[in-house]
Amino acid sequence: MNNEAATRRPIARSAIASALIPGLGQILLGQRYRGVGILLGFLVMLGTVVWYKDPVWYLSPVLIWLWNIWDAVGLAGGRARSLLLPVLVGLAAAYGIGWQVVEIDFRNADLDRAAAIVRPMAHPDFIQPRRERKQMWVQVQVPCSSEPPTARREEEGKVATVIPDCGVVGETLIVSVNGMWPNTETEVTWRTTIGDLKLVGEGESQMLVVTTDDAGSLTTTIRVPSTALVAAPDPSLPQFHRVYFDQYRPIGGVELSYIGNEVLKGALDTVAMALLATGLAMLFAIPLSFLAAHNLMGGNPITYVIYVAVRTLLNILRSIEAIIVAIVFVVIVGLGPFAGMLALALHSVAALGKLYSEVIEGIDPGPIEAIRATGANWVQTVRYAVIPQIVPPFTAFTIYRWDINVRSATIIGFVGGGGLGFLLVELIRVNNMRGVSAVFIAIAVVVIVLDYFSAKLRERLV
Amino acid sequence: MLRIQNLSKTYPGGTQALKNVSFEVNDGEFLVVIGLSGSGKSTLLRCINRLIDPTEGKVYWDNVDVTAAPPTELRQIRRRIGMVFQQFNLVKRSSVMTNVLSGRLGYVNPWMSLIGLWPQDEKKRALQALGRVGIADKAGERADALSGGQQQRVGIARALMQDPKLILADEPVASLDPVLSHSILQYLEQLNKEGITVICSLHFLDLVHRYATRVVALKDGVKVFEGSAQEIDRAKFKEIYGEEAQEVRAASM
Repeated sequence: MNNEAATRRPIARSAIASALIPGLGQILLGQRYRGVGILLGFLVMLGTVVWYKDPVWYLSPVLIWLWNIWDAVGLAGGRARSLLLPVLVGLAAAYGIGWQVVEIDFRNADLDRAAAIVRPMAHPDFIQPRRERKQMWVQVQVPCSSEPPTARREEEGKVATVIPDCGVVGETLIVSVNGMWPNTETEVTWRTTIGDLKLVGEGESQMLVVTTDDAGSLTTTIRVPSTALVAAPDPSLPQFHRVYFDQYRPIGGVELSYIGNEVLKGALDTVAMALLATGLAMLFAIPLSFLAAHNLMGGNPITYVIYVAVRTLLNILRSIEAIIVAIVFVVIVGLGPFAGMLALALHSVAALGKLYSEVIEGIDPGPIEAIRATGANWVQTVRYAVIPQIVPPFTAFTIYRWDINVRSATIIGFVGGGGLGFLLVELIRVNNMRGVSAVFIAIAVVVIVLDYFSAKLRERLV
Repeated sequence: MLRIQNLSKTYPGGTQALKNVSFEVNDGEFLVVIGLSGSGKSTLLRCINRLIDPTEGKVYWDNVDVTAAPPTELRQIRRRIGMVFQQFNLVKRSSVMTNVLSGRLGYVNPWMSLIGLWPQDEKKRALQALGRVGIADKAGERADALSGGQQQRVGIARALMQDPKLILADEPVASLDPVLSHSILQYLEQLNKEGITVICSLHFLDLVHRYATRVVALKDGVKVFEGSAQEIDRAKFKEIYGEEAQEVRAASM
């Protein structure tokens, strides 16, 4: 009887203590860390649900509070309760809040729009059939002078005419050409005095395409484009514009399309930019890595302070994503690949510095001892015992970093850093999804190829 | 002649590795240093060519005070003292040839050695040294492609390149099996017969009996024995090695 009463008292006491302040009961029973942990967990949970102001989540601190009392009672009886329950409650609350923050909502999803974007991506604009062109043009005066010349031009059996000989903006003209390839689609376009291309199809945003007849002739009407004179210093001054007729026909084989050319150039730019950034980073990372190596700098308090400072600096630099650094550099040195390259280099200095310093820390002291014992001087010892040990892993890490930098460089292009990323942004902006698709493929190919070769190379070095 | 006088070494952490050790080594001797791991054998050998600077005491080699030698003179002393290590201490990624040639660093033009240019006759000398230990055909391979016994032979070839008067061997066979142990020690014995003084630390009593012309024993940094190998019987051995003696004997079988 006495025994039972003696155990019941601490049970009641810890239950009440934990009910008043979660964890207090546990602390009174000597489980200090458990008690403090429970209190902190409860407060964080409570704080979070108050912050998010969603009543349903008040359930979680309540559940933890109840569990904590149950745990205090169990503990007084000599048995701790499993932590699984409060951990699950905490996770459920965290996921719930996460759901709320992300605002998962499929109602706005527009599959038609998605299809409109994805469908052209099935035909990446990279190569096109090789083709030859037949071209003809004729001059026309806008606006009219007092004696406009005849808008007629002959060349190699082709004749192009415009009626009337001159016009004003918005005026309808009859254009015709003969001597072209028969039954072939012909693009009719307008070029201003300075060579600007103007579309004359529907709404001045579409290409006007007319098919020639059996004799290779076509006649159609166009309007002088509304923007024909926007670049002219004095719109009242008569100037010569041109109407172009272009035909294309395949001659077998394929060639790079215009976008394909740009993609190829962008890919090379990206790889080269990453290479430059990696090389630059290597120059700075090598000296820093020696300062960040514990086995070299741990000797006395002064060098140890330098070691800690350099390590901290490298860790801070490494923790900032290259693209964030790029935005900062865009402000400093202006928009363009230079900013992107600097950002990549800075980030790589930190990453390489850390990797290199770990190589130096892992160096085998045996050969150093052996070379010193032969009577070699300090420089010879470094050359024959240290360098052979660090150069292959340094090279391997540098190649690996280059590989990473190529991937980063495509992203950094987004903030004006040149290369594939920049091309991608431009193509997305003009809604050229076939081009976007070509860039995607190029990025994938570059990354896969580089990954393969860097892996092979590293295998041989280490 | 090598004279070691009252040598003591205390490490920065406070560990006293050597306590007032004195002995002499005559030219042409095969002196074996025995003692438990941590008894100060390695420290003693490294104090002789000052890979470790002793705290107190003197080392005289042919009446030159090694402990007082300035850096340039020390390097000249070192190049006549070959050293062989328990872990071979080869540069694993370099070729066998480069490892052997590096034994010659104290002799050649430092600038040429920095860009890796070696005179033809040095290369010839390296091949000869490799030939003496029977692995001339391995010259082009990476050092870590060789077996343990072969690596130690490269280590000996590297020491040979120094044209040494004295070879310090720090447990040269502790990482090798018994058969290889004999093969390595026979190379050292051969060099000893050609007039090179050898100071070698060893663990196993049968090896000590077989190769030593004289023995010095260390226990906790103190010299506890100096004499011929035959004087070390079971009782003496137990005295040097303490309670672990039985295990060490068993391991040597």
